[in-house]
Amino acid sequence: MSRIARWFYERVPISGEQLAELTNEPVPNHLKRWWFCLGGTPAYLFVIQIVTGILLALYYQPSTLSAFESIRYITEEATFGWFLRSLHKWAATLMIAAMILHQMRVYFTSAYRRPRELNWMIGMSLLMCTLLTGFTGYSLVFEQLSYWGATVAANISDAVPIVGPIGKQLLLGGDEYNSRTLSRFYILHAAVLPTTLILLVILHIAQVRMHGVTEFPEPDDEPTAPKHFNFFPDHMLTELMLGLVLMIILCALAVTLPATMGPKADPMSTPEVIKPEWFFYVSFRWLKLFSLSFAVISSGFIVGAMFVWPWIDKVLRRITGIEEISVYIGIIATFLLIGLTVWEAAVAH
Amino acid sequence: MAHDNLDQRRHAEASQPAADGEPRRRFLTTASGSAMAAGLLGAYGTFGYMLGEFVYPASGSVRGWLFVCTTETLAPGEAMDFTSPAGAKVVVARQGAGTSAEDFLALSSVCPHLGCRVHWESQDDRFFCPCHNGAFDREGKPISGPPQAANQSLVRFPLKVENGLLFLEVPLESLASCPAQRANSLRSGSESDDPDTHSSGVA
Repeated sequence: MSRIARWFYERVPISGEQLAELTNEPVPNHLKRWWFCLGGTPAYLFVIQIVTGILLALYYQPSTLSAFESIRYITEEATFGWFLRSLHKWAATLMIAAMILHQMRVYFTSAYRRPRELNWMIGMSLLMCTLLTGFTGYSLVFEQLSYWGATVAANISDAVPIVGPIGKQLLLGGDEYNSRTLSRFYILHAAVLPTTLILLVILHIAQVRMHGVTEFPEPDDEPTAPKHFNFFPDHMLTELMLGLVLMIILCALAVTLPATMGPKADPMSTPEVIKPEWFFYVSFRWLKLFSLSFAVISSGFIVGAMFVWPWIDKVLRRITGIEEISVYIGIIATFLLIGLTVWEAAVAH
Repeated sequence: MAHDNLDQRRHAEASQPAADGEPRRRFLTTASGSAMAAGLLGAYGTFGYMLGEFVYPASGSVRGWLFVCTTETLAPGEAMDFTSPAGAKVVVARQGAGTSAEDFLALSSVCPHLGCRVHWESQDDRFFCPCHNGAFDREGKPISGPPQAANQSLVRFPLKVENGLLFLEVPLESLASCPAQRANSLRSGSESDDPDTHSSGVA
């Protein structure tokens, strides 16, 4: 051991073997397929969000008087501001898409079953926090669509039984959108939710390490063939390759479809055509189809059911005797989600 | 001599059977532990209460009475747009021939469904909300969309008449810049039709 290595080891007493033990967990062979790497993709994109978010925060001003102007400055005057803002916007879109795909993969492979129920719930919390982060970030732009989106969301919160009115007051800092509202969205978007996300990611990964990655033995595997490979460097390289591809996609999207500016928020006039971000199209269409109280309560029921799905799945399997009952329900739900999203995207009203 | 007595007493206490001291020790442990827990709970509870009070908005929106017009300005069946100094758009209509507040109607342009702004569509003779396709008739009653499903009418602002002057109670705080005050004929459909400018002030 060299003098420098010895000096370092005295202060950080972890040996190379211990470090390898910590990082070099054998992972099942199916992780060689790229769609089983979707769990790492949102984490990678989250890091990009933190870096670009910190840079954007250098110029952003969370005030109704200056928010729109500060975003215009970032987009039109700050050097490479348009690029960083576009990266932030597209990474948010891809992060949510990757999380949904990851959740679908976990769902359709039944990887949430015992003993991983709690990790499914942590994953659901991660998805909810990410959607909230997307919503608050979109609201910070203070353009027409984001302003009215925030107003609609606050009033949806108001319709939630018992806690709704308090939630609306806490979110808006008053009865309606006011001069103190944007700073609340900003603190939620840039401090509270990212910190919560980091803590949840730590718990999520800790659970994966404790239980190990779910095994999926394939019938055509040779019995004597090795069933695992090393996380480091094999799987790490797969994740790095995926990260590289993501950066290429992100840069291409940022350059070809950069983030633009809509009209500045006008609290006195709702635009003729109003849409939220694409990941809220489903709930937006749902609100058009049913009365407010039914739409809010049914949405809460669906999200609640998703949280406790590992136990619902168990009960359903016992009652029906069909092992893949959740898969059939998932296929119907997926078509419903896609159908409502496409419907909302295709029509003006 | 005194030292000897003290040592003897200490020795005697120390040599007491453990069972005699146990209840007292247990009591002291429980009491001091409970006191510490109560202190921590009280302190953090107070801090939590202060935190909650700080985060929860201190007061609701400020409202005030504004002068709209004299009661003779509007004939029965007529309506006009009114914009408050804070920017709130209100449709004021006269429904009856009398001159009391009940003969007038002041409709908010805020959709009762989820808070978007409705606008008048003269071709369909209705107020329309673009957010979730809610529609209301000229008296603010729901005729289609989610507001009809939940039977939500457009909110009516409180009105009062004093000495032949019509006053309206509206929020005074708004994010909108104060637009030029104007009153246009609603029933004619277009904002440019029949302009009828009037002044307003806090009552």
